[in-house]
Amino acid sequence: MTLNKQSFLIFLSLFIITACGSISNERTSDVSAVSTSASGVYSDQGLTSSNILYFAYDKSDVNAEGRAKIRSLAKTINKEGLSVRVEGHCDERGTREYNLALGENRAKTVAELLIINGVSSSKITTVSYGEEKPAASGSNEKSWSQNRRALIKTF
Amino acid sequence: MKTLKGILLIILLITSQVGVSQLRIEITGGADDPINIAVVPIEWKLDSPQDEYLHEIIRSDLESFGEFKVLPPASMLSFPSTQEEVFYRDWRLLKVDYLVLGQANKSEIEDELKISYFIFDIAREKVIHKAIMTGPYKSLRRVAHNMSDKIYKKIQGIPGIFSTRLAYIDKPSAQDLNYNLRIADIDGYNGISLFSSPQPIMSPNWSPLGNKIAYVSFEEGTSRIFTQTVATGERKGIKLERGINSSPNWSPDETKLAAVLSKEGNPDIFIYDLKKNSWKQITEHFGIDTEPDWSPNGKSLLFTSNRSGSPQIYQVNIRTKRVKRLTFEGTYNARARYLPDGKSIVFVHRRNGVFHIASQKIRSGKVRILTDTSLDESPTISPNGNVVIYATKKNDEDVLAGITIDGKTKFILPSLKGETREPAWSPILD
Repeated sequence: MTLNKQSFLIFLSLFIITACGSISNERTSDVSAVSTSASGVYSDQGLTSSNILYFAYDKSDVNAEGRAKIRSLAKTINKEGLSVRVEGHCDERGTREYNLALGENRAKTVAELLIINGVSSSKITTVSYGEEKPAASGSNEKSWSQNRRALIKTF
Repeated sequence: MKTLKGILLIILLITSQVGVSQLRIEITGGADDPINIAVVPIEWKLDSPQDEYLHEIIRSDLESFGEFKVLPPASMLSFPSTQEEVFYRDWRLLKVDYLVLGQANKSEIEDELKISYFIFDIAREKVIHKAIMTGPYKSLRRVAHNMSDKIYKKIQGIPGIFSTRLAYIDKPSAQDLNYNLRIADIDGYNGISLFSSPQPIMSPNWSPLGNKIAYVSFEEGTSRIFTQTVATGERKGIKLERGINSSPNWSPDETKLAAVLSKEGNPDIFIYDLKKNSWKQITEHFGIDTEPDWSPNGKSLLFTSNRSGSPQIYQVNIRTKRVKRLTFEGTYNARARYLPDGKSIVFVHRRNGVFHIASQKIRSGKVRILTDTSLDESPTISPNGNVVIYATKKNDEDVLAGITIDGKTKFILPSLKGETREPAWSPILD
């Protein structure tokens, strides 16, 4: 049974990989018809502004507005017994690995604030994506300010 | 199961071979004093037709980093293919410093090609190299690159890099929603996708023998280091720790990986023993320590740390764990790589808010900015130490660019397949 399942998965992934290969080798598809989420930019799907905190350049401290969001989220989390995944993100400036470290600082700062507001540390996981998953494309302050963020995902 | 995996692998390799020539070298600023060389079309004495011309591949190789100017056949006064047919006067007249000529024959082995060739020093009127190169007829490009490497070595005195390869990451695009770890010949041909994932892939690093690549993948929802064998596609996940698992960098003897873990609460440099499957901590500081690079002699690591308040380059002795700061100019110096001699480093340097690639002789402490582009990052150095390829932006898109270490020749590597970043130069491959 396990063997069959594995074989199926391999075939499935084979099919997907082959399919991807043929798509990427034909460069004739209509680029304009594809949404921004398909061009390497991530919509922070399913999240409202109350789950997203923004940061200053090269900083990981949370401003008053952010702290207020965390406080109200913490209440909901505790009331409904939810678990939390905090994702830290950066803008593209600076090196990728350094940004990965910076993104972790942001995620951890948010996690600490959740704990201070009564959320159990056992309910929280953190991850940094550095600059690898931008919310907005473009090398300008408008995009950068949207990309320096932490996402608080509850489930 | 075994055969199934085998089939999968073969099909993977076949499908991924289709997309050839994803990168191209376009010189945007050349050296003012190139070496003049003539490569006479190699006399083809085989029955089978010549798919590609050897002299054209060699010409494109030698001109790719601006160090040579190759005389086109149309300007030649004669087309010698043996030593006896060379009239030095002809080539002096054409202001040629070196001349390459030869003949391609069938070898005793089926489908094998045998090229006898000569390199002449025109000023000294003598043969400086005479050799026979053999290879499968199907690998004509590879044979030509090997010849280019030999010519380069004879004239420049350091190894040629025309048989090397480049690994890089393709950003998701409308055509391909996945991140792709790709490998291509340094001239852009024979591109393959080594690994593909809907989650980010980062920080590719070649093993010193060039048979494996280590990288970071987020496929499990968190960063994890993997190693993958290039020839077979076989992948191995490195023992996962809590927090960041990133920035892998092979030891020169290929038995260990330097990397970054944040399991102690903040990112520090660790060494992973690939035989014992265990981690050993090297740096310990409450700041960010990241981006290790192993010294060519294996004794120390470069790394980036913000322990002084801003990111700077440091060096740690692996045995004593003694740390020494190397950069003092500016408030952002990061992601350093040693040059092959271990005496200089290349890194990302911010000046007036702009990120450039810079170099520094370690002991001098003086920063020399190499690039005039902005948002430059991820420098990777050719195994002969002569050329740097790095990631930058052009019209708001991720592209790869390059510069010779003397700063004279600049080039970009436009991708036909979308946006490209994180170049990693292979070692010299045999």
